[in-house]
Amino acid sequence: MAASADIFEECDGWRGPLAISAALHAALFGSMIFYAAFFAGGSRASWGSSGDGTGGAMRATLVNTIPLPANPQAQPQNVLANESKGLSKSVPKPEEKDTKAIPIPDRNAKTKIKPPKQPPVTPTREKPREVATVSNVVPFGQGGPVSGPYGVFSAAGAKGGFGFNGGGDFGTRFGWYVDAVRRKVSENWMKYEIDPGLSTTRRVYIYFEITRPGAPANIRIEQSSGIPSLDQSALRALQRIDTFGPLPPEYSGNRVSVEFWFDPPVRGQ
Amino acid sequence: MHLTTKKPAIVAVLLLLLAASATAQDWIRTGTGLGIEKVRLAVPDFVPASAEPQAGELLRTFNDTLWNDLQQAGIFDMVSKSFYPIGSFSAPAAIKLDAWGNPPPNAGMLAFGNLGIGGGRVLVQGWLFDVKNQQSPQVLGKQYSETASQQSARIIAHRFADEIILRLGGGLAGIAESRIYFVSTRSGQKEVWAMDYDGANQQQLTHLRSIALSPHASPDGSRVAFAGIFHGDWNILMYSNDLNRLVSFPTFGGMNLSPAWSGDGTKLALSSSRTGDPEIYTCDASGGNLKRLTAVKGPDVSPVWNPKTGVQIAFVSGRTGLPQIYVMDSDGSNVQRVTDTGYAVSPSWSPNGQFLLFSWIRRYGAGAPGGDDIYIMDVASHQWVQLTHNSGRNDFPSWAPDGRHIVFQSNRSGSEQIWTMLADGSQQRQLTTTGTNSQPNWGSR
Repeated sequence: MAASADIFEECDGWRGPLAISAALHAALFGSMIFYAAFFAGGSRASWGSSGDGTGGAMRATLVNTIPLPANPQAQPQNVLANESKGLSKSVPKPEEKDTKAIPIPDRNAKTKIKPPKQPPVTPTREKPREVATVSNVVPFGQGGPVSGPYGVFSAAGAKGGFGFNGGGDFGTRFGWYVDAVRRKVSENWMKYEIDPGLSTTRRVYIYFEITRPGAPANIRIEQSSGIPSLDQSALRALQRIDTFGPLPPEYSGNRVSVEFWFDPPVRGQ
Repeated sequence: MHLTTKKPAIVAVLLLLLAASATAQDWIRTGTGLGIEKVRLAVPDFVPASAEPQAGELLRTFNDTLWNDLQQAGIFDMVSKSFYPIGSFSAPAAIKLDAWGNPPPNAGMLAFGNLGIGGGRVLVQGWLFDVKNQQSPQVLGKQYSETASQQSARIIAHRFADEIILRLGGGLAGIAESRIYFVSTRSGQKEVWAMDYDGANQQQLTHLRSIALSPHASPDGSRVAFAGIFHGDWNILMYSNDLNRLVSFPTFGGMNLSPAWSGDGTKLALSSSRTGDPEIYTCDASGGNLKRLTAVKGPDVSPVWNPKTGVQIAFVSGRTGLPQIYVMDSDGSNVQRVTDTGYAVSPSWSPNGQFLLFSWIRRYGAGAPGGDDIYIMDVASHQWVQLTHNSGRNDFPSWAPDGRHIVFQSNRSGSEQIWTMLADGSQQRQLTTTGTNSQPNWGSR
């Protein structure tokens, strides 16, 4: 008779471990229920509820009652990156040497080490960096609207500005003429020609000249806004005008150049 | 309850109408140079510079005329005299800019000066100051000298007003020295008369002792073309303002009516029935080189040129029934109808070529509501706005040379009289009162 061993018939009893496991699970659930019932959520508020008994999990407020920040103003130039070196120069911090530190003497040294002689301090003046002497440079931090022949206008939610060049103090001496030009251009700018769906402010720069008899000449887009309807509306505003009136007789020049810019009304403003 | 629910809708509709009306006013004011933003102008009375007894009367005439001219210009917000500082402002040394530039006057500009008489002549010194410009306030400084008379005082005031308007009005010249030509019955027959733009100095030009109609002044003001019965026929007649008499003009046969000058004064357009049916013709200023432009059954009358381009003509045609306004090129091609309904007559083309004025009965027929009113239309877009409302029968509108003013005839006062208004329909005022006066045309001088 051959010896045989049937390991599958060696079965320990399962009942003991199963009973222990069931008891532990029951204890775990019991402790969770106990904690939830007596300790957790002292206010007993349900998640998302406002707790005022209104039953709403979320509350909506009409946006027109909230003082939302205004739409961003036009940023025609990147104020962070330009090629100007500015007028102030950052000086690197000089390396400080502890002059009181005395070197540790070598025990084997026969001669005493004298502290090093301090070189005579000769006051040297650092040569200032050469700064280009430009009369119209605005010192750092003191920028702002250009003084002199400069102005702004606004009409029906739209804004614009202008600057007069040429003739030196033309804008200061003949402010009434500058004002008449401003009125005439702003009145001839038809805002309905601009795409009404604009959601961002872009600026278009128009350049033109006023001849001695007062007619606008050399009208061109100096810097496009990227929005064709805005560019065209600004261009047409100038093209509609036959004359601004003769230049003041006291003005000796033959023409003045003008730069106008237009900021369109933005939807929602 | 029903009304309450409808209220928001009614309010919304009213707001929309208001917005549309405001927009309409804007395009008229922009196109006619009236402007949306007005200059605040203070004009204290000019000060006597001499003790002559005559100076007081002339000064009163001068001050009234200057104030009236500037107020009628349509581009100024005149500062009330009750806000002015106390004092006498005869010369620049007497002006304190802060007192005028700050409230209560809060003026932007200041016109002042003095008037004196010496050696039988009236001498006027006038200045215009920009009171907001402390450094160089003087915009204008003028001196005038004329023979001392009421008429001279008026003329000097007109000239000074026109100088101010030219500078502050964006280069558009003032009309204070312009003249209005019209037909009047006050002498017994219909004759051509002329008057200053403000109704002063009315005088008779023609003495046909028959009928004269539809005067039209040349752009330089030297001649007035009109239609009249002469030697038994309706002919185009020509009056010379330089010679103060009629000058010769050829006859074309048939009934010839409604002459109109081209913008450069070298051509005339007219209506002639020399072939039986009234058609539009053009000819040279001397009457030569007559050309027929229309050849459609139905009357074509009342031509007017586009003064800006000189290559378009607006006219009235009854080719489809009731008279309507049409536009065509000056060679007779490209005919387009611009009014869609009703009864439209008497077109007048604005100096800048942008607008048409005409008289329109939009709902024509017995018992139909509405009347004969003046309308302005943007030629490019055919947008129109009614300028007169519920005020009798209004007809024969005519543009002033500045494109800001309109003269027309109206019977709202009981009889046909000449009226003026700004191109947006505001500041309507009556100029004539004697007899019946009709068919006005605004000339340059």
